[in-house]
Amino acid sequence: MKTQCSTKPLHTAQRIALPALLTAMLLLISACASTPPPTEQVAVSTSAVASATSAGGSDVAPVEMQMARQKLDRAKVAMTAKDYPLARSLSEEAQVDAQLAEAKAHSTQASKAAYELRESVRVLREELDRQTK
Amino acid sequence: MNTYRIFALTLIAAATLAGCSSLPASNPSLEQARSDYRAAQDNAQTRNLAGGELKLAGDALTKADKAWSDGDKTAEVDHLAYLAKQRVAIAQETAKQKAAELAVGNADIARDKIRLAARTNEADAAKQSAEMAQRQAEESQRQAEAAKQQADASQRQTAAAQQQAEATRQLASDAQARNIALEAQLKDLNATKTDRGMVVTIGDVLFDTNKAELKSGGMRSVEKLSAFLKQYPQRKALIEGFTDSVGSEGSNQGLSSRRADSVRTAIVDMGVGADRLATHGYGEAYPVAGNENAAGRQLNRRVEIILSDDNGIVAPR
Repeated sequence: MKTQCSTKPLHTAQRIALPALLTAMLLLISACASTPPPTEQVAVSTSAVASATSAGGSDVAPVEMQMARQKLDRAKVAMTAKDYPLARSLSEEAQVDAQLAEAKAHSTQASKAAYELRESVRVLREELDRQTK
Repeated sequence: MNTYRIFALTLIAAATLAGCSSLPASNPSLEQARSDYRAAQDNAQTRNLAGGELKLAGDALTKADKAWSDGDKTAEVDHLAYLAKQRVAIAQETAKQKAAELAVGNADIARDKIRLAARTNEADAAKQSAEMAQRQAEESQRQAEAAKQQADASQRQTAAAQQQAEATRQLASDAQARNIALEAQLKDLNATKTDRGMVVTIGDVLFDTNKAELKSGGMRSVEKLSAFLKQYPQRKALIEGFTDSVGSEGSNQGLSSRRADSVRTAIVDMGVGADRLATHGYGEAYPVAGNENAAGRQLNRRVEIILSDDNGIVAPR
């Protein structure tokens, strides 16, 4: 939106300067106010939350999951209210929250697997030592 | 005029732009995100295992930084800083996951190694127990062999003992037989048992008066004695001569010696070794009866042959 805000106004010729500048100011202000609806972003976030849920994020990272769901819900409410900037930022945050929950779920599962395997290796080694003795 | 107006309008535009943003000295959310990002970058594990995620976090942080330096709204900067912070956390979790997965891979390898070692051990143990069983079998065989040998040996010993017992019994019975024979012979010789051994007395009647030559009756006694001594070659004999008190002591001494010598000569003549026979004349000493009457005197005139024991020893008088 900043690129939209910061174009055009300075190199205008002197004769058309005033009306052009006024038009530019109007455009600028209206551009700052109206953002297109972040439909795509909301879809991406919804899918991220679903993915994190199915990865077991609710058990491993309940705080992040809760935040993601609440933000997504609020984003949808903001969409309905046509408050698109709020909808965008809420759904963006919901996305990273959900992604973090999913990453935590994966890392916890991997750590657990590693621990269990190490444990089984330890037991095996003990058994082997006992055999050797 | 115109330029002045343009300048004024430009100022208005700048003010409008500035109105959108306020420039705070610093943003705590952004500071937090930066610090998290630096920590993640300093962590080699995160850097190596979650490079992609860390890059995303870096991009997000750049965006937040730019928003802040462009003087965007605090809410916008906070929002972008929050996104950056969460992306850093995602990178860290991803690195943790990758590290754990690597550990799983390593542990898998370790487990395979241990299983292999265990199987090798089992095979070794089986081989060892087989070898041990073999050794035990061999040992048992050796023991059985040894036991058999021992049994054989004890059988042989028993047989030897039996033989020995038999021999001993034989010897004993031989000795008994010999003793019986000896006793019979000694009885035949009219031998008397004394402290010094068996004594055979050849009386005066077997000699001519005042002569040393044996009469034929005396010769029979001598023959028996010779036979006895030949049969028992380990025995020796001491021949002692005695007289009565009639006559001079010197003549009696001489007579007793001569008679003893005469008996010795007779025995030697019959084939008994001279070294086995000793003589001694005692004259009228050691009477066996009184010299007052003829009967007593006759008893005193005699030759005594003392037979040694089996070791050839005659107790001295």
